[in-house]
Amino acid sequence: MKIKSLLLKLTKFHYWLAALAIFMVIGVVGALIVFVKGLVVTNLTDLVPWGLWITIDLSSIALSAGAFTLCAAVYLIGLKEYQPVARTATFIGIIGYSMAMLCLLMDIGRPDRFWHAFVFWNPHSVLWEVTMCVGLYFTVLTLETMPIIGGADWFQERWPKLSAILSKVHHYAPYLAIAGLFLSMLHQSSLGATYGVLKARPLWYSPSLSVLFMASAIVGGISLTILASMFAARMSEKANVNDRLLDKLSHFVGWALALYLYFRFWYAFSMTYTYEPGRTEGLSLLTKGPLAINFWFGEILLGIVIPMIILLKKDWRARQWTRMAALAMVVGGLVAYRWDVNLSGQLVILTYLHEEITAIYTTYMPNLIEFMVGAGVVAFGLMAFTLGVQFLKVVDHASEDHVHEPIGEPSLAAGD
Amino acid sequence: MTEKKFTMDRRELIKLAVGGGAVVASLQIAQKASASKPEGSSPHQWAMVIDQGACLGCGYCTNACQAHNDIHPDISWNRVIESSAANGEKTYTARPCMQCEHAPCVDVCPVKASYYRADGIVMMDYDKCIGCRYCEVACPYNARAFNWETFSGENPAVPEWGVPEVERRPRGVVEKCSFCYHRIDRGVALGLTPGVDSAATPACVVACPVGGRIFGDLNDPESEVSKLVKTHVTHRLREDLGTGPRVYYICPENSHSLEA
Repeated sequence: MKIKSLLLKLTKFHYWLAALAIFMVIGVVGALIVFVKGLVVTNLTDLVPWGLWITIDLSSIALSAGAFTLCAAVYLIGLKEYQPVARTATFIGIIGYSMAMLCLLMDIGRPDRFWHAFVFWNPHSVLWEVTMCVGLYFTVLTLETMPIIGGADWFQERWPKLSAILSKVHHYAPYLAIAGLFLSMLHQSSLGATYGVLKARPLWYSPSLSVLFMASAIVGGISLTILASMFAARMSEKANVNDRLLDKLSHFVGWALALYLYFRFWYAFSMTYTYEPGRTEGLSLLTKGPLAINFWFGEILLGIVIPMIILLKKDWRARQWTRMAALAMVVGGLVAYRWDVNLSGQLVILTYLHEEITAIYTTYMPNLIEFMVGAGVVAFGLMAFTLGVQFLKVVDHASEDHVHEPIGEPSLAAGD
Repeated sequence: MTEKKFTMDRRELIKLAVGGGAVVASLQIAQKASASKPEGSSPHQWAMVIDQGACLGCGYCTNACQAHNDIHPDISWNRVIESSAANGEKTYTARPCMQCEHAPCVDVCPVKASYYRADGIVMMDYDKCIGCRYCEVACPYNARAFNWETFSGENPAVPEWGVPEVERRPRGVVEKCSFCYHRIDRGVALGLTPGVDSAATPACVVACPVGGRIFGDLNDPESEVSKLVKTHVTHRLREDLGTGPRVYYICPENSHSLEA
């Protein structure tokens, strides 16, 4: 039987790809329904216009922050031993930003006008700034990814000239790292400010959101880079990691989590002092209401406290599975945080009636179509990473041949 | 082939980056200070006064709005909200767009689809709007509505409450009350006075059976809105936010209809 022998030849890898492909098809089906019928098919309303897709968009951008952080560490601070890890982070970054852009394309009412922000400028708008930064930073990531593609063996064999051109971009890595740091510092924090500048939403209206978005992005982005590398190394022989580096990075994440916990605690609880309409209701929504499980368990306990302890304790961090679990919790905690921020401000509606300024609650739960599209976008990200590991060797931390001299150190290779 | 050599010192580099950041930040702040000033000038400043003492909550204004602006029956630009006053009597708050002087929606729009007209009307450019809905999230008055689906077919408010005077908006853009700018502009061009001549006055004002809505030019001291704002205790919604609404309310206890 031909089919039977074919089935026997299939490996776990094939099943994994097939599963991802199925989810991607489901996502495309959902997307087509939205494009044909409009956003009316979602559970979004005029009261809660931003939902699951915005959460995925915010989360993918935040979880891509490993790219700018590690590139800055390698090329600007001079921690050149992390270069192979920065390479992994860059690849995750370009996937993350692609996912974010897919989500936005789904979420905006007129995807055919996605380019408007680049032409019709409103520099006063935080969202305009975010759009410009994301667009420019995606260009930076594309340039940073070129040497990864050009450096692949099969690519070199087939298109040696193009490969040489793509690999040359690597010489500009330090400049790209500066551009990346600059653009990321701007938009990672401005995504928090997108909510933070809205005076009509007392729970959001605060400069702290920018700080929290930045801090959580650095923590989450590095965590995902380590986690994805470790996972790839277990699943694929094409991937190899340098555990000494990942251990050191995980240790850093542990300390960074402590700092993030401090900011989060200080922010959430400084706001409990004195009643303010809308803000206090929002906080109780978060700490006692429908978002409470998400907040206490997702964000604080599993998202920060437990992984912080694991990653700061040497022997727990050294154990592969506990470390991976801790990093996965950090990633989950970041998504929970984005979900909570986005919803807590929208679920409380402050009435504007003269006689009674009171807060009323509304609800939101994504429906099947939103989940379908969301799953499709996530599957796309996993698929892209899997193919990167297999065919571009994006997780190759033992190789030293990509190391570039950081700025400030005399270049030994130069002039030879 | 020689490799490019980076001669720049790390410290210099960081200086450069910080300097660049400062330049961009100050540009942004400068932009913010002069943000979104309307182009041109106008002799008029349109405003509306809503007399809550007169309002019966009949909803005629909403119906007229739905018809004249050809709005999807699921959404509305102009709601009448019921609330109870301290003495237990019902009070109604009719809520068009406030046409804020410092409109949060204009501030946040990433593509300048929301903008100010020189006469104070906050306008929507439906050809620019990308449908991100940031303005909806930013508006303190829930005055904005998104086109979740294509509006095809009959408008149930037509022809009973009027006939459409503006184009239907496409699916996927945010829309809102425009003070019926098309009626104002056409009226002024014909030499009519908005607020006095009904053809030049917003449809909701014309439809109100009890004269609860008064429209006019705040720059004209002889207009009824100018006089009412001067002689009556008025309030605006969420004045504490500093949005500077152009819709003034007269509470039932201060209502001019009681004086008559």
